[in-house]
Amino acid sequence: MKMQRKLVGISFVLLFALAFVLMPDTGTAHNSDTVAIGAKVENFTLADTEGKQRSFNDLKGKNGALIVFMSAQCPVVKGYAERINALAKDYQAKGISVIGMNSNATESLDYVKSNMSERSYSFPMLIDKSNIIADKFGATVTPEVYLFDKDGKLVYRGAIDNDRSGENITARPLQDAVDATLGGKAVAKAETKAFGCSIKRAAK
Amino acid sequence: MRFFRLAVFCGAILLGLGGADSALAQKKRTPQNRRQTKSRVKRSVKKPPPPAETAALIPVTRLDFAGLQTLLKRDPEAKRPLLINFWATWCPPCVEEFPELVKIDREFRPRGLDFVTISLDDLAEIKRDVPKFLAAMKAEMPAFLLKTADEDAAIQLVAPDWRGGLPFTVLLDSAGKIAYSRMGVVKPDILRLEIEKVLSPAADAPSVK
Repeated sequence: MKMQRKLVGISFVLLFALAFVLMPDTGTAHNSDTVAIGAKVENFTLADTEGKQRSFNDLKGKNGALIVFMSAQCPVVKGYAERINALAKDYQAKGISVIGMNSNATESLDYVKSNMSERSYSFPMLIDKSNIIADKFGATVTPEVYLFDKDGKLVYRGAIDNDRSGENITARPLQDAVDATLGGKAVAKAETKAFGCSIKRAAK
Repeated sequence: MRFFRLAVFCGAILLGLGGADSALAQKKRTPQNRRQTKSRVKRSVKKPPPPAETAALIPVTRLDFAGLQTLLKRDPEAKRPLLINFWATWCPPCVEEFPELVKIDREFRPRGLDFVTISLDDLAEIKRDVPKFLAAMKAEMPAFLLKTADEDAAIQLVAPDWRGGLPFTVLLDSAGKIAYSRMGVVKPDILRLEIEKVLSPAADAPSVK
């Protein structure tokens, strides 16, 4: 009887101890750092515009992947649509798969879908309506690209080129990064910035 | 440079108005405000007022990278906090928040805030959509259009944490340091509070340090 009580007491203590140890973990689980240059991206799964679940690891080509943060409404993305289609065709042939990402809470699935066919995007478009991936990547602007090498490591983040209008392009940092990665070299300029539309986040 | 002169001109008008007040109040003439008076006169002479009909239509000045650098460095004599709004006519949230920004300009300019807007529209719009929109908004803050081949460097120069999404509103204190910034539509109450914060120390301690 005495022994039994003691055992119950011990198991309670152990249970509390276990709960205490586990508690901080669950509290910080959502606070993972944003994806940094050189860091390997953790696999994630999102639904595409057809409702099909797609994982990053399945989508990634043999030489890498390019995630393009996009918006159906953003006029800057519209201005880049042709260039994005051209590079998607080119990179896909080189084993780098192109993945569209829409993280705007304000754009409905129907809108994104109709816009996609209007602009003849031929790559999958993932729907990140609660901006989980945008938060993880620290993405705040469209269009913005994230280039991953064959091992899934981030090698370039930023602009496609240095001219929204497309009339006076004098620098192509994405193309340079792709060339370097395919050639097994380090990317000289791994991060750039450009003006664009802000990603409209969900109220949390 | 043209902007700078315009800003000086607007400042001169405000100083002039303030000067009338202080004359009535018979304030002591410290060496500091004597210097202000002198430069006020000099600047007013240098810049004749524009014709009345163009006064409502704010001219939009082209800004390059060097111009942006000058703007951010601030005139050391200005000693006023500076609010900058980066926007474009093609950016719906920018257009949406603009009336509130015009109100904030009217409220705080007489109280010592400088406010400029920097458009990221195509250069072709510098004489078309941009001034047209500003006129419709009755915007009176000095207006610029930034055109640079190195937007990367420009964005980095303004705020290291900013990746270029519009609208972007940044408040610099009178020393030119970022006191507050926001990407996306501003929350007017919060912005007003932040402006009050950078204005009040100047009002309490007008001495030059």
